[in-house]
Amino acid sequence: MEIVKIEGLTFTYSGSDTPAISDINLSIEEGEFVLLLGPSGCGKSTLCRCLNGLIPHFYAGKMEGRVIVAGMDVSKTPTYVLSQHVGMVFQNPENQLFSLTVENDVAFALENLGIPRDEIRRRVDFALKAVGIEDLRKRSPFELSGGQQQKVAIASVLALMPKLMVLDEPTSSLDPASAKSIIETILKIRKELGTSIIVAEHRVELLADKVDRVIVMQKGRIIKDGRPREIFVSEEMVPYGIPVPKVVSMAKGVNKYFQVFNEIPLSSEEFEQDIRRFVHDKVR
Amino acid sequence: MSILEGLRFYAGDTVIHRLDPRVKFLISMLMLIIVVMYVEVWMLTILIALQAIMAYAAKVVRRWLKTIRGSLPLAVLVFGLNAIFFISSGTYATLQEALYQSTALAYRLVLFLSSFSIFFLTTTPEEIGLTLTSWRVPYPYTFAFISAIRFTPIIAQELRDIMDAQRARGVELDKGGPLQRAKKLVPILVPLLANALRRAYELAEAMEVKCFGATKKRTSLRELKMRYKDYVVLSVSLALFSLAAYYRLFPF
Amino acid sequence: MIRFDNVTYVYPTGVKALNGVSVEIGRGELVALMGENGAGKTTFIKHLNGLLKPTNGKVYVDGKDTRTLSVAQLSRVVGIVFQNADDMFFLPTIEEEVAFSLRNLGFSEEVVQKRVDWALKFMELEEYRKRSPFLLSGGEKKRLALAIILAWNPQVIAMDEPTVGQDSAQKEKLKEMIKQLNLQGRTVIISTHDVEFVAELRSRVILMSKGRIVADGRAETILTDGELLSSCSILMPQVAATMSRLADLGFNAKVISVDEAVRNIVEVLRRFEHTRGA
Repeated sequence: MEIVKIEGLTFTYSGSDTPAISDINLSIEEGEFVLLLGPSGCGKSTLCRCLNGLIPHFYAGKMEGRVIVAGMDVSKTPTYVLSQHVGMVFQNPENQLFSLTVENDVAFALENLGIPRDEIRRRVDFALKAVGIEDLRKRSPFELSGGQQQKVAIASVLALMPKLMVLDEPTSSLDPASAKSIIETILKIRKELGTSIIVAEHRVELLADKVDRVIVMQKGRIIKDGRPREIFVSEEMVPYGIPVPKVVSMAKGVNKYFQVFNEIPLSSEEFEQDIRRFVHDKVR
Repeated sequence: MSILEGLRFYAGDTVIHRLDPRVKFLISMLMLIIVVMYVEVWMLTILIALQAIMAYAAKVVRRWLKTIRGSLPLAVLVFGLNAIFFISSGTYATLQEALYQSTALAYRLVLFLSSFSIFFLTTTPEEIGLTLTSWRVPYPYTFAFISAIRFTPIIAQELRDIMDAQRARGVELDKGGPLQRAKKLVPILVPLLANALRRAYELAEAMEVKCFGATKKRTSLRELKMRYKDYVVLSVSLALFSLAAYYRLFPF
Repeated sequence: MIRFDNVTYVYPTGVKALNGVSVEIGRGELVALMGENGAGKTTFIKHLNGLLKPTNGKVYVDGKDTRTLSVAQLSRVVGIVFQNADDMFFLPTIEEEVAFSLRNLGFSEEVVQKRVDWALKFMELEEYRKRSPFLLSGGEKKRLALAIILAWNPQVIAMDEPTVGQDSAQKEKLKEMIKQLNLQGRTVIISTHDVEFVAELRSRVILMSKGRIVADGRAETILTDGELLSSCSILMPQVAATMSRLADLGFNAKVISVDEAVRNIVEVLRRFEHTRGA
């Protein structure tokens, strides 16, 4: 089943004369794990915001085309309905937490929907467990590190039990260790709950071998949409300046001398496996 | 700003902390009313003693005293002004009477502040929020209140960061007369405001994504429940209050 | 140029952010200050221009004790670009922002004009001269913050987390800029947790943890030391991490650049071929 279907989408923020995104056509199946790549200003954030109704309900502007998410037309459905199917996590964890305890923050969205208390409790427990932060339950967001805060933000959105989670540069303001932790959290959620994920990120090292699909944007348009190997390995993507995992460059370099890699590896693990296999065969 | 120290939540697991916040608020209100009803120093002293006992039970004596100490300058001012007024206008027959009355007024001022100190010291902002909700204050107001508390430390940090950044550009914040210093506030306040607005926008977006305002019938994870000991404390407080009120109206 | 002499700093809240830090940074050096959040990096940076003065110990900038100078005086020598560039704009145009700092530091109007022109050109912001700083994009704001500091030509430039929130093209530009500033003879100190960025810069690395300096050396040595990095909660750059997985097969785990890694792998694989042949 299609979770996202976008047809001919063009959006121009009010007050601007050039569209932020143009002519977007996209179809995403339920269960897919998508990485959205592109330089600053390419339209990634705008596209993300079209997926849960912030555009056109929160941001004023001219929207052409259709966006159907979880079977609902985004321009005809209020955001509070869409939010129960599409959760969104932003870049700055500090500005997504409102309450004075983690527990309350995770419950926030549920309280706003008027969900009965028992159900709220159940879902808060579920979300805290899914993200792995049960021990932070009674803490105040102010005391937490950036990485922990972002996990709370994820949990607070997960409590709505959306089918799709959209994360707009969730690790941008975090240090590498916290970033790794967040990505591991996302992978955990995907594995245990089967949630569809769309994440806009620059840190490709940790995601290259884990995602199903990579969409590259530039100047408001989708310029490439394919499997990770097609994007990171192919030479044609080089002029677009997308970040490429270092192991890809290493493997290409080695392959010039020794045909070690039949398929260019996307992660350290794959690289290691291929080298070991090659050496093993050689030594035999 | 030592007064503020005595008005901020200080964690603890004492009998007072565990009391329902509404009861604590009511006690503070009742004390305030008694302060208004009585000018006599002996009654005011009884109140202070009661507060001292509560502060001791809540292990917040030092902070409670800070509120009192912080309000002393103002109290001295009140004493001085009233003393001058009473003496020069001859409101009271003797000098002693004038001084006694001035002292009482200053004393009352201190009590106004200290009455609520215990409440704020032993009640978390979250509980204050729940109290407002239980009194049917519309949620947006409670939310504004909680947000203010939530973001105050963050804005305070931002203020420090901005001051550091401007100092590093050669702005000497500590120098100059009052007019120059006022001008130097511009490079501090404008960025602070700009950042606050930007932050507000991001917050609004996150609130939208979390269904804020979806329904007027908002539920909550926690609710305040009056327990046996809350009723006991409430009854005792009301009884004492009634006694004091009765005595004021019909002194025996 | 910069010397920390057994510096200890305790914040008013009681937190000891620096605990006996002693280090020397020479004129014209390029140094990366690394460490997890809370290691003391920002506190260290703030001691460079006197925003913070040591609780114990001394900090010397160009031979002078920072305690004897004001922040404004020290800022002439040490320019700090803080992490949140948007923290300091308040004037109607970009050129006024750059001029503001210059005027504060006491330059004559003539010099101010020349420096403003130079700084805006150097940071490629000439065309936005008359624009309001609030209308700039994130990347442009960071460039403006740097332009403001460079305008008065400080000998030392310190940057606190310059790579946060930047995409790869922006980081590439930043890297080139840092190298160029360093080539021009400036002492450049960047505080960052971006290991890949530092690996590419190949600078001197000062590694901090819990207020102490735990390592001080070349990037190639420090960023390939697995134990050291994990004790400071820092991830190894991908090249070194990959190579260290293959160390048992005889590959060199002490490399940080793609080229070095490729050369080493090819060399080792050739050796395997020869052994087999023999």
